[in-house]
Amino acid sequence: MKTIHKHKLAAVLEMKWRGLFSKNFIIMPLTSIGITFVMLLLYQSIAKGQGHVLTDYLRAMALGVGATMNITMTGILCTAMSLAEEKEKHTLRALMTSSVNGLEFFLGSVVPVVFLMTLVNGLLILVSGLSLSLSSWAAWIGVSLLCAVASAVLGMVLGICTRDQMSASTFSTIPMLFLAVVPSFGAFNAGLKRISDFLFTGVLANTAHVLVEDSPVLPLPGLAVIIGEILLAAALFLWVYRRNGYDAGAA
Amino acid sequence: MTDEYIRLEHISKDFGQTTVLKDLCAVLQKGEILGFLGPSGAGKTTTIKILTGQLEPTGGDAYILGTHIKNIDETIYEQIGIVTDHCGAYERLTVYDNLRYFARILQVNPGRIDKLLERIGLYEHRKKPAGKLSKGQAQRLVLARAVLHKPKVLFLDEPTSGLDPSTAQSIHKLLMELREEGMAIFLTTHNMEEAARLCDHVALLNDGQIVEYGTPEELCLRYNQDKRYRILLSDSSKLMLGQTPKDVEHLSRLLLEDQISTLHSCEPTLESVFLTVTGRSLQ
Repeated sequence: MKTIHKHKLAAVLEMKWRGLFSKNFIIMPLTSIGITFVMLLLYQSIAKGQGHVLTDYLRAMALGVGATMNITMTGILCTAMSLAEEKEKHTLRALMTSSVNGLEFFLGSVVPVVFLMTLVNGLLILVSGLSLSLSSWAAWIGVSLLCAVASAVLGMVLGICTRDQMSASTFSTIPMLFLAVVPSFGAFNAGLKRISDFLFTGVLANTAHVLVEDSPVLPLPGLAVIIGEILLAAALFLWVYRRNGYDAGAA
Repeated sequence: MTDEYIRLEHISKDFGQTTVLKDLCAVLQKGEILGFLGPSGAGKTTTIKILTGQLEPTGGDAYILGTHIKNIDETIYEQIGIVTDHCGAYERLTVYDNLRYFARILQVNPGRIDKLLERIGLYEHRKKPAGKLSKGQAQRLVLARAVLHKPKVLFLDEPTSGLDPSTAQSIHKLLMELREEGMAIFLTTHNMEEAARLCDHVALLNDGQIVEYGTPEELCLRYNQDKRYRILLSDSSKLMLGQTPKDVEHLSRLLLEDQISTLHSCEPTLESVFLTVTGRSLQ
């Protein structure tokens, strides 16, 4: 196990956090907020057309779509592209030959993205207009945090396997679309719903619906899916990392 | 710790069936510049990667700052600096912020950043994003980052390649100052003028093998077998004389008659030594 030097980790954390606010990256969480807002307007318009009002169920649907987009786009794309950018601009080598070890770089890369995703998912509750109890808030933030970890680790795997931002973007598109689209369409198709139940993004979308139930209880199988996928992503990361460090894509 | 900062003992490296380094032996002392001189593909960068723990050798032993390379980890980088083609700067950050980031990592007093920027001539560009620097300025920034923490050993891989003569000269000046301060510098280059000007010892590397080793002067004199003198006479005519009795007599007469404006010995350059030893050019 590598030693974590606090000052090095703090420096990488600050750098990566600042990096998230560049126009290339901040667009992703902002898009998620925008999509939630657009979905709300859309559902409101449909409900109004049928003489109904916007129910909590519809608000939860909009929340589920926005949160899933946030977790996939920000988690996978930001992390993968940030790592690929470090390789493309040769700053990763500079960092690694300046005494930052692999674990410090990993934590420094993942923690800010996870924090941002969780924060945005919290904001999406406010955007959706749902009124939640404290325990529901805690459950939502907890599930969002776990999903954010799974997504960011997956993003690191994709970042390792690519050598520049262009290829990171290309390779991330398929898993990103899969993880975002399947839960979104799961509501309309039983087959997709079954698949969605085994995806961490699907569990997140389901959680949005659970929150608006009268007595919300988080389904344990859902939590097991998220934790299992975090472990799977971590194992995949370690397997790829051990091949050639963060430069596997360039090998 | 002794003053011996780097020792290479019979280092070899194979990539599959291809041998890229064969039986390399060399030593770098404190306050000394060792040049690895050779054409592209000679194995210079591979040697740096082995010495800095980025690549494992196939055979032999190497020591850096008294530690066997098998036993080094990332903390060794707190005592060494590296400048290679594969060291970039954060383009969105300013020159100052680039150095500040690494100063935090390497626990360097931020006050040193401005002093260093002044020293390398980038102080007036300190607020400029690194992505907007010229190639020469960017190379100086990378060099500044490599010496920010006052490393004991500095590795430079073709540091002035593609730079204009004035920037190259300013980098040479800085390197000589750093050597005076006791830093050991491992320099790879295919620029023989640079090697002759800067290096205390040079190793001529060809096809992964050191074919000659010594001070630049030693190597040039070792291959100065056909001694010749280039003469400019007072009537502006030029003359080339050798070491034969007849030519020596001619030279003596010219000296006695005060007909000589300039007189230069024509010992070989490092480039011609390399050509003699390997039969190939450095470029």
